[in-house]
Amino acid sequence: MIRFENVAKTYDPNIVGLEDVNIHIERGEFCFLVGHSGSGKSTFIRLLLKEFEPTEGSITVAGRNLQRMRRSALPYHRRNLGCVFQDFKLLPNKTVADNVAYALRVTGQPARAIRRKVPEILNLVGLGDKMNNLPDELSAGEQQRVSVARAFVNHPSLLVADEPTGNLDPDTSVGIMQLLYRINRTGTTVLMATHDREMVDKMRKRVIALEDGKVIRDEDKGLYR
Amino acid sequence: MHFKFFFNEAVNSLVRNWVMSVAAIVTVLVSMFVLGLGLIMFFNFQTAISDLRNKLEVEVFIKNTASPDEINGLGDEIRAMPEVKDVGFISKDEALDRLRGSLKGHEDVLDALSGNPLPPSYEITLKDPQQIETVASRFFDNPIVDNTPGTHDGVKYGGETSERLLKVTTYFLIGGASFVMLLTVASVLLISNTTRLSIFARRREVEIMRLVGATNWFIRWPFIMEGIFTGMVGAAIAAIMVMLTNRFIIESVVNKMPFLPFNSEAVPMFWLVLLVVIGGTLLGSVGSGLALRRFLKI
Repeated sequence: MIRFENVAKTYDPNIVGLEDVNIHIERGEFCFLVGHSGSGKSTFIRLLLKEFEPTEGSITVAGRNLQRMRRSALPYHRRNLGCVFQDFKLLPNKTVADNVAYALRVTGQPARAIRRKVPEILNLVGLGDKMNNLPDELSAGEQQRVSVARAFVNHPSLLVADEPTGNLDPDTSVGIMQLLYRINRTGTTVLMATHDREMVDKMRKRVIALEDGKVIRDEDKGLYR
Repeated sequence: MHFKFFFNEAVNSLVRNWVMSVAAIVTVLVSMFVLGLGLIMFFNFQTAISDLRNKLEVEVFIKNTASPDEINGLGDEIRAMPEVKDVGFISKDEALDRLRGSLKGHEDVLDALSGNPLPPSYEITLKDPQQIETVASRFFDNPIVDNTPGTHDGVKYGGETSERLLKVTTYFLIGGASFVMLLTVASVLLISNTTRLSIFARRREVEIMRLVGATNWFIRWPFIMEGIFTGMVGAAIAAIMVMLTNRFIIESVVNKMPFLPFNSEAVPMFWLVLLVVIGGTLLGSVGSGLALRRFLKI
């Protein structure tokens, strides 16, 4: 699903983001990306989203080489890749339902499909009764659920979460993790960058640890350490 | 299409930035209105010029010092010309009567005159307007024609007046065109600034749109539509104002001052309105397109 080959990313001037990264993540895997701030987690995710190009090496996502991808194909790449962020990135002046519908509208889905899919996915994340609320009226955990719903509503083959529990208390975090786990069980590959030691240790999934831009550990059923 | 979605997004954004939107609409309005007025003038002058050109008349004014024999001789000479269809003699008294007639209600002005300063004249009607220059030029050097030395202002014919009018029209066109150009630039800049503001106001939205995989044109359309709306609304108001001006103001001017070469029917209003509306819409799309190129990094 994701393949990094000899990937390096250097920012100007000579600040290393990633160095000599070789990673292969299979379809349907659940994988943690751990490391301190500045270890290269964000660089890794932004490379996946093709927000910028690696300085060296090649990245393949869902069988497509990102370096050979045309700029015009980029939107279609991103539709196949759901994103959840620490700061939710919801639109404050749109209701919960409209926020989720946004991801569908953008992909050109007909209004009827949108009317059907939005309540469906919001029920799935347990927010069926908050459809017409604004994001501000929701708790942080609920907002993150909306964001997960938006990321998953297009049924992407890969879901990337950048510190999704970073702003949440432990109990709420568990709820989000359960949601991500359920999404993973539907066959969606999930990659989650996190600081949350407890969560990583509890889940016992594959752990890729980064430090100063290098992969220092990659183990199945790993711990945060 | 997602026309409704784009439409709503554009209208919401215009309402949110209503001060800038109104400013942009007003500049489009003003520039398109001036364009419309300029064109009304242009068409009026054009009609006046061609009317004059097609006039078959040459007026020859005769010096007050000419003897009756000389005047009659000139008359015979004119009647002998093959191009001439008809000749009429206007004596000094008839000329004064005509003037009095055209000054209806203000005849007292004439009391200030001592005697009659008006020259007698021949009014010559031709068979073919093409020959007007040829015929008129025959009187340029005639000693009894009332020419100011060095000119031939004693001979009045359509060609001369139309040339003068053409000159005025040209100056008028150049001036009007540069003014419209200036206003056009101003409106493009203002619209582009409105779009820029709305890009900044919605940069979060744009970021999210990109993340969820919106194509570039999906992101651009609402902004472009904003510009098009601004242009269209401004232009539509301008078009209405142009129509009203032509209908009422020009007509009342013509009624009060019939000697002015204006005519509210000289203007192909349909095309003018179409031009104004298309022009305004174009201004809007160019303005917002400019802002998108500079400020919307996709």
